[in-house]
Amino acid sequence: MKTKAPVRSPFTPEQEKELLSWTTKYPYKNMGLIEALRCVQAWQRQVSEPAAAYVAELFDLPLNHVWGVATFFPTFTQWKTGKHRVGLCHGLSCSLAGSSRMEACLSKTLGVPEKTATSDGTFSWETMECLGACEQGPALQVNDRLQGRATQALIEELARDLK
Amino acid sequence: MTRILTEHFDTEPELHEIDVYRRLGGYAGLSKALGMSRAEVVAEVVKSNLRGLGGAGFPTGGKWQTVPGEDKVPGPRYVVANADESEPGCFKDRVLITRAPHQLLEGVLIAAHAIGAKETFIFIRGEYQNQYDVLARAIAQADAAGFTAHASIALMRGAGAYISGLDTALLETMEGKKAWPRQPPPFPTVSGLMGRPTVVNNVETLSMLPSIMVKGGEWFAKIGSPKNGGTVVFSVSGHVEQPGIYEVPMGSKLRDVLTLAGGVRGGRKLKCVIPGGTSMPPLLEKDLDIALDFDAIRAAGTFLGAGGMIVLDETADAVEVAHNIERFLAHESCGQCTPCREGSFWSEEILERMLEGKGEGEDVRNLARIGENITGKVICALGDTVGMVTRAYISKFPEDFNKRVATDGS
Repeated sequence: MKTKAPVRSPFTPEQEKELLSWTTKYPYKNMGLIEALRCVQAWQRQVSEPAAAYVAELFDLPLNHVWGVATFFPTFTQWKTGKHRVGLCHGLSCSLAGSSRMEACLSKTLGVPEKTATSDGTFSWETMECLGACEQGPALQVNDRLQGRATQALIEELARDLK
Repeated sequence: MTRILTEHFDTEPELHEIDVYRRLGGYAGLSKALGMSRAEVVAEVVKSNLRGLGGAGFPTGGKWQTVPGEDKVPGPRYVVANADESEPGCFKDRVLITRAPHQLLEGVLIAAHAIGAKETFIFIRGEYQNQYDVLARAIAQADAAGFTAHASIALMRGAGAYISGLDTALLETMEGKKAWPRQPPPFPTVSGLMGRPTVVNNVETLSMLPSIMVKGGEWFAKIGSPKNGGTVVFSVSGHVEQPGIYEVPMGSKLRDVLTLAGGVRGGRKLKCVIPGGTSMPPLLEKDLDIALDFDAIRAAGTFLGAGGMIVLDETADAVEVAHNIERFLAHESCGQCTPCREGSFWSEEILERMLEGKGEGEDVRNLARIGENITGKVICALGDTVGMVTRAYISKFPEDFNKRVATDGS
């Protein structure tokens, strides 16, 4: 009979504790899954297969369920984002406000194409669907915070300040 | 013009604080509701003609009435506030939460009493981290003030998928699954979160409840137009002088909202107005006197949606606009229904080809054909939107499309 191989933890004991806390936060265990994966993405800047396997075991779910969720939602990546993840909204209002110019500007200022971290791992950038900041386009999402009215000067300033 | 939700926004910068909110009469609606029977609260909301302001326009009181009583279905039932605002052009929930979080919490607690829920959730899109923080702080204040004695409020975040904003997909997301819409019936009020009766209402809808409780359903109904009670908050962006949110009575004219937003930027000519978010067909200059309520706008061939108004001036190109919207829909199609998954992808591809100057003779007809093959053949409205958007832009701006397609002999 085949026995299940134990899943090795890719997390620190504190992180394991936090992940475990999401299994009991809501009336049903699975309701904490998205928040647990949000933690993984924040800590490891991606959701890798070993991480998903650990979370799956924690939630008593098959790996294919957790992997399905991890690959469905745009917040979770299978590539490693930069320490600072910059999103640029290319929804209609932000496009009208010049977001495609900001795409070129991000690529030039950070020196990497979309969805590729800089060689020192500090930055990555990607286009995102509507960020809900249509009155202040072009809108940026810098890590988890909104930054409206992007300009070339603002992007250069961000790249300098966050380094 | 009557304002309900944003009445104090210009004069009270600290409205997000519970003390300020209470000084202005906040939580009086909840006290009044708690002194009434559940049936009385529901009847008052039915009388108000409040409609679901997240896009569907379903009568709120009518939705609540479909929750089975505890005699028929004993056990827990839930209220979920939908704060997963993601329709391009919509940002009013973001502003309402930032400025008046307690107005939302009070609405959630009134709805909880109305259906007998002891647990409620606010599901907020993950990108609204500032608003998540505002709500977490407001909930702690409401807890400390004893307002959550009859029902708790918990926060949950999404992870970047537009489709999570659709009620049944939202419930799937909350249950830790891919955001695949369910095929109703059963509707969430009968079988919602974990199969329990669940009312899912939008932020703006719930925020209306405190005033309805205090001033009465009749007062609210009188402000709007027939069958469309109260006010509606528009998010206005695009080519206008003053982008922002504007609250107007239901049934106000499109022209009035445009005027509030300072009119078309730079004195340019108007090309069209998207009234409810990019999924809704656009209206033209000749339509500016259309009344903005769920029913009147429908008669004009489009939808009020979630009030995400995008104004486009004469410099906008209909193919570029349609491409932007189809790219969004292709990215956000959940993939569950083949016609939508494939149709949105090919609509984007064809439009992209047209933008690159490689349009082919059959492209315009194919776009329309793809749309026809999706509508009515998919579970949710996202798929229907794919064809609706291309059809609308092609029929209203044929010249923009025709000039992108190579004709014989050219």
